[in-house]
Amino acid sequence: MASLRKSFFIKARDFAHAGEASIHIQNLLKSMHLDSALVRRIAICCYEGEMNAVIHGGDANIHVDIETDHLTLEIADDGPGIEDIARAMQPGYSTASEEAREMGFGAGMGLPNMKNNSDDIRIECAPGQGTRVHMMFLYEAERGIA
Amino acid sequence: MGRPHSTAYVCFDEDRCTGCGACLRICPTRAIRIRQQKSIRLIDQCIGCGACIRTCPAGAVSAAGRKPKDVGGDHVAIALVSPVLYAQFPGVLPGAVLQGLRQLGFHHTVDMSFFLEMFQYAAEEFIRRNRRSQAAPWPLISPACPVVVRLIAFQFPSLLPHILPVLRPVALMAREVRERIIPEYQGTGQEVVLYYINPCPTKSESGPDRGRKRSTHREVAIGINDIYPTLRRQVDKILATDNMPFTRSRFEFETCSTGDAALGSMSGGEIANMNIDKTLAVHGLRETIAYLNKIEMGLLKEMEYIEFRTCQEACLGGVLAVLDKYIAKRHVQKMISVYGLGRRLQRDTILRQYDRGRFQLDKSPDVLGQLFGPHKPALSLQQAERIENTLKLLKGRDCGACGAPDCSSFAEDVVRGEADLNDCIWVQVLNLGRRPPD
Amino acid sequence: MTSEPYTTHYVRFDESRCTLCAACLKVCPTKAIRIRDRSSLRFVDQCIGCGACIQACTAGAITAATCKPENIGQDHVAIALVSPVLYAQFPNAMPKDVLLGLRHMGFHHAIDMSIFLEMFQFAAVEFIRRNRISQVAPWPLISPVCPAVVRLIAFQFPSLLPHVLPVLRPVALMAREVKERLIPGYEAQGRQVVLYYINPCPTMGESTIDRTAAPRQKPVVSIGINDLYPELKHRVDKILSEVIPFSETHLEFETCATGNAALVAMSGGEIASMKIEKSLAVPGLKETIRYLQKIEMGLFEDVEYFEFRTCREGCLGGVLNAVDKYVAKSNVHRMLNVYGLGRRIPRNTILRLYEKGSFQTDRSVSTLTTLFGNRKPALSLEQMQQIEQIHDRTTGWCCGACGAPDCLTFAEDVVRGQTELDDCTWISNSKTHKGH
Repeated sequence: MASLRKSFFIKARDFAHAGEASIHIQNLLKSMHLDSALVRRIAICCYEGEMNAVIHGGDANIHVDIETDHLTLEIADDGPGIEDIARAMQPGYSTASEEAREMGFGAGMGLPNMKNNSDDIRIECAPGQGTRVHMMFLYEAERGIA
Repeated sequence: MGRPHSTAYVCFDEDRCTGCGACLRICPTRAIRIRQQKSIRLIDQCIGCGACIRTCPAGAVSAAGRKPKDVGGDHVAIALVSPVLYAQFPGVLPGAVLQGLRQLGFHHTVDMSFFLEMFQYAAEEFIRRNRRSQAAPWPLISPACPVVVRLIAFQFPSLLPHILPVLRPVALMAREVRERIIPEYQGTGQEVVLYYINPCPTKSESGPDRGRKRSTHREVAIGINDIYPTLRRQVDKILATDNMPFTRSRFEFETCSTGDAALGSMSGGEIANMNIDKTLAVHGLRETIAYLNKIEMGLLKEMEYIEFRTCQEACLGGVLAVLDKYIAKRHVQKMISVYGLGRRLQRDTILRQYDRGRFQLDKSPDVLGQLFGPHKPALSLQQAERIENTLKLLKGRDCGACGAPDCSSFAEDVVRGEADLNDCIWVQVLNLGRRPPD
Repeated sequence: MTSEPYTTHYVRFDESRCTLCAACLKVCPTKAIRIRDRSSLRFVDQCIGCGACIQACTAGAITAATCKPENIGQDHVAIALVSPVLYAQFPNAMPKDVLLGLRHMGFHHAIDMSIFLEMFQFAAVEFIRRNRISQVAPWPLISPVCPAVVRLIAFQFPSLLPHVLPVLRPVALMAREVKERLIPGYEAQGRQVVLYYINPCPTMGESTIDRTAAPRQKPVVSIGINDLYPELKHRVDKILSEVIPFSETHLEFETCATGNAALVAMSGGEIASMKIEKSLAVPGLKETIRYLQKIEMGLFEDVEYFEFRTCREGCLGGVLNAVDKYVAKSNVHRMLNVYGLGRRIPRNTILRLYEKGSFQTDRSVSTLTTLFGNRKPALSLEQMQQIEQIHDRTTGWCCGACGAPDCLTFAEDVVRGQTELDDCTWISNSKTHKGH
């Protein structure tokens, strides 16, 4: 069973490179001719997580596992953790100002965005022990990859 | 292996380094070397341009300096704010950002606009007088970007006299703080710390004085990226209240920002507002070097003043800035349309200060040359010849495998005894042997 | 070795000058260039005509596929289509002097772009205005003005093709007007007409020349500003020494340059005089790619219009310019000071034409994909794994010895069967030299 795993290191507060890991993953999926709407969903989930790590968290690692019928994306950081996950999941809640979230900065927690765009999402965090966001994306049979 | 002159504005994390050599190749002073694919060090002057930070794909390079912790807790914290900071907050006016800094613990927040005006007046006056006296050679070069000054000292020392000998805005700002604010705390037993909030790793304005302990205060440089997360939370809190963010401050220059200052954060912004005839604004590292080469050749003499910035889109493109430079630029343009443009200081006031020498740069070209010039000894003719011979042995691909940025640097390293010819994989692979070049 | 059908119409290689330094490989945005057999340059993929390779080559081995200006107007009617970038090359002259200079060189007509730029800006703003209500095209919309950007999108970001504003670009409007108004008159006289595009960059190339086409098709030639400059400067200097030079012309759009047109030569100039809510101007190849990647991810949906240029500082930074881009920029500022900004065509006039579909682009998304799209087949998961494995065996130095731009692309080339594993000197030598 073919599969591919890639990992990326994200440095906290390194805005100069913020977003590069997500773009790298996006390019990978494009070269496999995955459906473009699906690629977009995966990439935006990754981007939200990456930006979260750069802004809020400590250093982070992104792991992506590409299988023939699904893809898992895990973003694990050693930052301060999320205080109230339920509240963070509410649409509209954000620690970023409106304009900062617009204009492509994609700042803020964006957890609701990640939830909307992924097929499954699990968040583990303990105060002071960082946060781990685990997402899964399923491909429909005919839009899958060889 | 530390060398006494490797003033580092950046630091390397060897655990993260993959030995790809990207930083070596982009360094404008060819100061970086990698040994045994593990140990990265500086062997010559680092000018603090941040190109290595930008280019490293593994996150192994970052700006030197401490991250801000517990600001203002056990000391008096004074923030010296670059207008680039305001550009990181779209839709937010500078007053709220400064107020946010105070809520973070800074006792004073100093805005740069007045000092930019003073600098522009003084620069105009110098140029005006220079048209008659012809004391300084044309074209004059803006001193505002410290990286440019160090680059000139290192690579184009003959151009040092072209640098406008006027104190740059940040220096004027720091001096005012030292003369007006710090004395108020003397005798109270409190330590005073000046925090420079910078968009790039060029450290504090008193770079070479870093080693010297200032008795009255400490100076620290922090990146905008380091303060952004906590600052943004404060700004959001301020925006969420119904009150106008008016802040109480001791001195006028702690709050009133202007459109001119916002303009100054963009390339061309410094000269846009100055009354000088023939000016050019050049931004980007390669562009800057290309133009300095031309000036050294004797071209561009018809220009009076050139504004150089080593970052693309000038300070908005600094590697420690947070917001993308084009988005920030748009925000700056909006700020300018709100604030408008216009000065607040009278020319006469500045002229009086000017004639008293208050804007005179305190470092002569010679001093700049000593501080930032290359410290490698000059090459003898024999050495130069040996370098040429060594170069002929190498492949000329500039692949970076030897840990030097390009083949000519490697050849020089070999001749200076700092590298072994067999460090070159082509020499090994093509079995060119250990024949020393002669 | 599989056959490689790609040739570029936009650049030419002179192998006798090539030093095989591999600089061009590394800057190519479509990774289209390879060195084969350590000796020759080949294209293995679409060239978008951005000119980055020309800029990177220090040996002068790469040039634009433009024509030298020879025998202008001697046995044919020569019509020059002038980019406002040309005016920026002359520090002391105004556009009218430059256009007159072109006439003195032999051009029968020298067409200025300002009016067509205005038409484009009106039509673009109108499209955007209507799109706010109809939401037919996806946000953000992307300027179609820079052809290299459009080709880049077709090649690398095909899902963004619907974002490209479906309005004819200024140069296309200019060419169409000339073909409809000027050429028929000469045809009737039995005279041959040649259209000369005076370009700051190689994006026109030779593919549009079709000398074997049907008689209705007129030959079209691309001239780089750099090739025209020496003689033109000479003419312009002469003109400047005379009394105020007024040109005799046939049609209004042959002379009246405006400040708005000069503005467009700079990055940000296109959107500066368009009334659009949220727009961004992004110049430079790396920046353009970065933003397109983000737009593809779904970011920037709140931005209405992006102005992309693959050259730094916009068209002033084109590789075929004669004058450095910052000097040119200050010339543009000077022109703006004199001309000011302002339009000449009333909105109603354009609206009438807009309703008639006069500004609708003639190239659909599928046409662009066919012409410029990426033809490489998809990679399977197994292939991706193989690429990873091969990449791990390379050194990561991207030394270029294998003839590919970087180690990852080399690995992909191997897996796609376009090159051999042993082409990597390091891998082939690590087999024979144990312990290295």
